[in-house]
Amino acid sequence: MGRVTRKNLFSIMALCAMVGLLLLPIVMALPSPATGEEAPTADGAKKDGDKVEKGRDVYYKTEGIVVGAPAPKTMDGPRDYPRYNFESRVLLWFANQQHLYYGSFVLAVPIFCMVIEFMGVMTKDKALAKRYDQLAYDFIKISLTAYSLTAILGGILIFTFLTLYPAFFGYLSSIFRPVMHIYALMFVAESGTLYVYYYGWDKMKEGFLKWIHLSMSVILNVIGTLLMMLANSWIGFMMSPAGVDEQGRFLGNIWHVIHTALWNPLNVHRLLGNMAFGGGVVAAYAAYKFLASKTDEDRAHYDWMGYIAMALGVAFLIPLPFAGYWLMREVYAYRQQMGITLMGGLLAWLFIIQATMIGILFLSTNYYLWQAMGRMRGAEKYQRYIKYLVFLLACGYLVFITPHTMVMTPAELKAMGGQQHPVLGNYGVMSAKNGGINVIITTTVLSFVWYMRGNKVSTVSWAKFGNIFMGVFFACAYINIIWLAIYGYYIPANVRVGLSVPQVATTLSCLFFMFALNSVMMKGAKQMGPIEWGKISVRSQYALIMLATAFTWMMGLMGYIRSSVRLFWHVNEIMRDNSPWAYTHTTGFAANMISFNVLFFWLSILFVFWLGSLAAKKAPVEAKAGVPGSVPQPAGSH
Amino acid sequence: MGNMITEALSMGWMAMALLVGILIYFQVSITDPAAKKRATFKTFIGIIAAFLLFFAIANYKNNFYGENRLLPFSLVMITATSFVMAMYFTNLGALLKIGGVMFFVAAFLSGYGNWLPQVEGGFPPKEEKLDFSAMTPQQLADEGEKIIFGGIGKSTVQGEIGKGQCPLCHGFQKGFLSERAPNLFGIPERAEKERLTDPRYHKGEPDKRDTVEKESCPGCGTGTTVQEYIAESHSCPNCYVVAGFGLKGSNDRESQMPKIHKPPISLSLPELAAVDTWLYVREGKEPPSYEEIIKTYEKFIPEADRPKQQEDKPAGPASVLLADGSEPVDQIFAKAQCMVCHTIPGIPGALGTQGPKLEEGTNAPNRIKDPAYKGTAHSTPEYIMESVVSPSTYVVKGFPDNLMPKVFGQKLSAGALKKIVDYLSQVKAGAPPPKIS
Repeated sequence: MGRVTRKNLFSIMALCAMVGLLLLPIVMALPSPATGEEAPTADGAKKDGDKVEKGRDVYYKTEGIVVGAPAPKTMDGPRDYPRYNFESRVLLWFANQQHLYYGSFVLAVPIFCMVIEFMGVMTKDKALAKRYDQLAYDFIKISLTAYSLTAILGGILIFTFLTLYPAFFGYLSSIFRPVMHIYALMFVAESGTLYVYYYGWDKMKEGFLKWIHLSMSVILNVIGTLLMMLANSWIGFMMSPAGVDEQGRFLGNIWHVIHTALWNPLNVHRLLGNMAFGGGVVAAYAAYKFLASKTDEDRAHYDWMGYIAMALGVAFLIPLPFAGYWLMREVYAYRQQMGITLMGGLLAWLFIIQATMIGILFLSTNYYLWQAMGRMRGAEKYQRYIKYLVFLLACGYLVFITPHTMVMTPAELKAMGGQQHPVLGNYGVMSAKNGGINVIITTTVLSFVWYMRGNKVSTVSWAKFGNIFMGVFFACAYINIIWLAIYGYYIPANVRVGLSVPQVATTLSCLFFMFALNSVMMKGAKQMGPIEWGKISVRSQYALIMLATAFTWMMGLMGYIRSSVRLFWHVNEIMRDNSPWAYTHTTGFAANMISFNVLFFWLSILFVFWLGSLAAKKAPVEAKAGVPGSVPQPAGSH
Repeated sequence: MGNMITEALSMGWMAMALLVGILIYFQVSITDPAAKKRATFKTFIGIIAAFLLFFAIANYKNNFYGENRLLPFSLVMITATSFVMAMYFTNLGALLKIGGVMFFVAAFLSGYGNWLPQVEGGFPPKEEKLDFSAMTPQQLADEGEKIIFGGIGKSTVQGEIGKGQCPLCHGFQKGFLSERAPNLFGIPERAEKERLTDPRYHKGEPDKRDTVEKESCPGCGTGTTVQEYIAESHSCPNCYVVAGFGLKGSNDRESQMPKIHKPPISLSLPELAAVDTWLYVREGKEPPSYEEIIKTYEKFIPEADRPKQQEDKPAGPASVLLADGSEPVDQIFAKAQCMVCHTIPGIPGALGTQGPKLEEGTNAPNRIKDPAYKGTAHSTPEYIMESVVSPSTYVVKGFPDNLMPKVFGQKLSAGALKKIVDYLSQVKAGAPPPKIS
């Protein structure tokens, strides 16, 4: 057997092993019906006569046979709430948040790798293909170190649950028992596929083998996503329980328990959020390496890496607010009271912070792009217009963060003279806020379009018409968004809410049509000069770090909001929190705690990066062959 | 401040002593004056930075649970420390500046969070498992007041409504308006002297009653004592209707009151015992015992119809609402008792006539144009919302003012109000009623 054939065989076996790992949890889930251990049915109930008790699903309203114990009625004391000399909830908050940060990172990075590896396979420029491949490899290398830490933090989290909230964790485990082993097997499958994928990189570099390797990344991400969805089912159940009766007794249908009212929007929101977060972390890593680089070659590489990571992160950041709207809509549909607590009640000030942060994220992104245009010859023509973009962003931001209706104490209400502020109360209505954020996103799209055509001149015959069309399209988009924001003041509140649809549609039209049109126009475009990778300003790298830190903070904030909305319920309306900490902290305390979590994460991940750099120093630099030998000249590599 | 300096020094004295040791070592070992000056300066900066760091940690340690909102200053101090260190330790400059930026972002956001008004969710309502049977009459009466009015002492406040929803129709104080249902002031005495002796009541002879329902259940009979009269009134409002309070057109043969042990109100027998006890106690009368009251209800409500007492459900904020908006609109109308007074096309059982017929798709535009209209509505939905939340803004001719409670703005969620407005704005005279959603 020849060497190549043996390699092929090895690769196919590795792929089969990965498919096997993927299918393992599913196969393990099958034996129940095969061995006759079916979930109890109504027929079964008849056989047992009156001994079988039935219950009604609190969400699906279907009848089912009670197969689980009621949710425990906990009491404050060492039996249900054992504790150290510290607030248990804060300890759990810390353990949970750290695990979540690392978990999000290690789930997001393989998706990046898949995308970048695919770009490398598809590109015809061999040098560029090699660079993409090397970039994907660098990404997975970073995530591999973080992966072990994620597993350790997962263990710490379970330990924290078991020691501080045994009754609550015992109840949740009993509900999810039918899929607990699948959850564990998913971890095994994820680890197995990740290691095969990583260690098989060099062995499957070329041709057919590369495609097999790429297929492995798909399998790896399918497993990772399923794992995330299973984890989400726990928090979905805690917020909007289903599959149990009023007493919290499991009714035998595990799909109902998993597929709760908020599961789908949570999945979509988390997937997009993880991707944006992963992009931020990798961009920050690249920025750190850029700032610490001693050579032009390294600076060029890490400048490029930072740009790609930022672009991928922002690509997922843009749809994130829309996924957030969907989640909120579903929350309102599930329990209006919950929605009001979030958006207009106890937690409303936190949403003002969130709005501030969304603004910071987009401002940082735009700032980075404007700085990045400085390394392109030809992009000067756009520089003089940037001040207008700053004006638009500032106006949109100010409108977006203006509060309208806030929860207030009677004294504050009296002092203000009503529910709304006499001046600011006239602003900040929903259509205007939507107008603000849509202006910000549309401006970010415009910045991207300018960046993509910075050093190019279109050579298509209809270039002039195309430019005019783009200009008119953007102008109309701004007019439409701003007009609808103003029009909202003249119509009733319930109609006003509907204006978000045409506003969002306008922004998305800009995003898709203008990117598509720009790509067509710039195909075969004349280059005014190369992108001088590595010659970007140092300030831009700090913008990337600010972007990453702000995103990490926002993740912590939104996680806190989502968790706090259950108020004094471990499982909403099913299992009550009777611990001494069943109240909601002040905004300030939450902000301090989130900062602590964010800084701990960043200090620890900087340590991980440092560990990674030690390994890189020791390794023979065979891979360096793939790194641009000189300052890179990627044609059209935006 | 002094405490924190002491705390910072006690935590960081070893590190700072080490730095001072290094400073002394440099003074002794370095001979080149320029190098000595540089080393001295750097070490001095290191000592200051270390002190700031420990001061920041001390601030965190002392004020973690405090309310002074000064914790972000710790982050500001660490930010300053990072940047100062980066200026003098250039080999670690990149890392220190990155750390500085991160601490700056965290300091800004933490500071912002602490600067905003501090809203704290209080502790949840205490979970109580009420054992009505073990209560004294006064305790039982207090629970009854909570059920009727939503809290102890609220019976004297007009517009307060509890789980039982009684004040939506009944008056309870002497002189309080009570046009939809009898004022229950003095009911124990009146039951004995007027109701049980009323020929229309047909005490002991239910078959002779001229009402749509003669008995609460087959063989239940009629009330023979004051308490039995009250129990029968709750469990079978149709069995005897006080003259003038029947459903319009029924000639007092049918009541507009729902059976109180059935949905949407569904009071349990112990809860009814509490309500009845309050009726006696608040007038200074000796109430029957808990067991006696329960027996009277058991006479009129068969076991299968008795709702179970809710256990372990805290009376959280949601329970204060009559409807939270998750229900179909017909249930919202039922829970808010709109159908008692209004005829609402398309809503089963909504045949009340004490208020106008709610064909608001037709009526509202005309009312807005009425010169007597002084409200602020410009559209049908706005008019309906105004009428529900503030009924006295415009009173339809031929109907009395102040009959409709003014509490629906607080007792119905925004979603429930929206459903009501959406439904009623589609109801037009002569057109088929809209679908219930």
